[in-house]
Amino acid sequence: MSVKQASVHAKWIIGRVIGTKMKKTTKVRVTRLVLDPYLLKFYNKRKTYFAHDALEQCSVGDVVLLKALLERRSKHVKHELSEIVYKVGQLVDPLTGKKVAGCQFLEPLTESTKNTDVSLTTKLEQLNITASASPPSS
Amino acid sequence: PMKGRFPIRRTLEYLQKGEVVFKNSVKIMTVNYNTHGDLSEGARKFVFFNIPQIQYKNPWVQIMMFKNMTPSPFLRFYLGDGEQVLVDVEGKDYKEITQHVKKILGKSDKVLEAEALAKMELSNPANFGPKKYFLRECMSEVEGQVPHPGFVPLPKEMTGKYRAKLAAVSDD
Repeated sequence: MSVKQASVHAKWIIGRVIGTKMKKTTKVRVTRLVLDPYLLKFYNKRKTYFAHDALEQCSVGDVVLLKALLERRSKHVKHELSEIVYKVGQLVDPLTGKKVAGCQFLEPLTESTKNTDVSLTTKLEQLNITASASPPSS
Repeated sequence: PMKGRFPIRRTLEYLQKGEVVFKNSVKIMTVNYNTHGDLSEGARKFVFFNIPQIQYKNPWVQIMMFKNMTPSPFLRFYLGDGEQVLVDVEGKDYKEITQHVKKILGKSDKVLEAEALAKMELSNPANFGPKKYFLRECMSEVEGQVPHPGFVPLPKEMTGKYRAKLAAVSDD
């Protein structure tokens, strides 16, 4: 085999961080939807994975994207931290880029009102100038 | 009758009628939506009706649902080469969402038909063999052919001993 295959079946995984008490390793719980054969309904089936993060930047409750390592780092660690998707307490709305908590924005969506007042008055002055300068159309 | 609010979602027929089949590069799908509010109504309906169909058709895609995290609902796909696709879903209808997702990241109808054809070509219904791989095991299972004498006794003219007796009588 010329191309190195990853040793795990799942290449990319998303899950919640459960524990960070190990050095440079996080415990991540991954839920997949599994079909119950009789009820024909999907239920979350959990599985815990260990992931390596060199900078120890995860806290419990983050949603994290893991990438499969090419070789197993140790007996249980087969993935590494790719990026923190949603950091607990510091959520950023991907559409607007503003900080968010629950269903509310923490930062105001529009700019602060003082600036808008200043720009409005300057714009009015400009309008007066142009009104006096332009001759009345015949 | 079946139990539940819309129990039709739990029938094999409904699950197999799912339209969206993801391309091989899609690995993870994440849906962020809110439980209250008019804007994520379409997203809620999408999760309620279409997620079972999608997961049934794509058993190897990890699907995760997040509720009440951000004020606006959105979908996020993580592809195999590290690429991410963000789909804004605010105010859209659930049917629009499925059509949009099918257009961006779904296999087109032509590709699906070609795959089905290739799968059919692998298995030839004209072959006989074990029940696991083929339709029939013996010609006697086909209607209109001579059945096994274990189930139905053969007519007298076809039995070996009658024919042997006839041959002996004609020789004499």
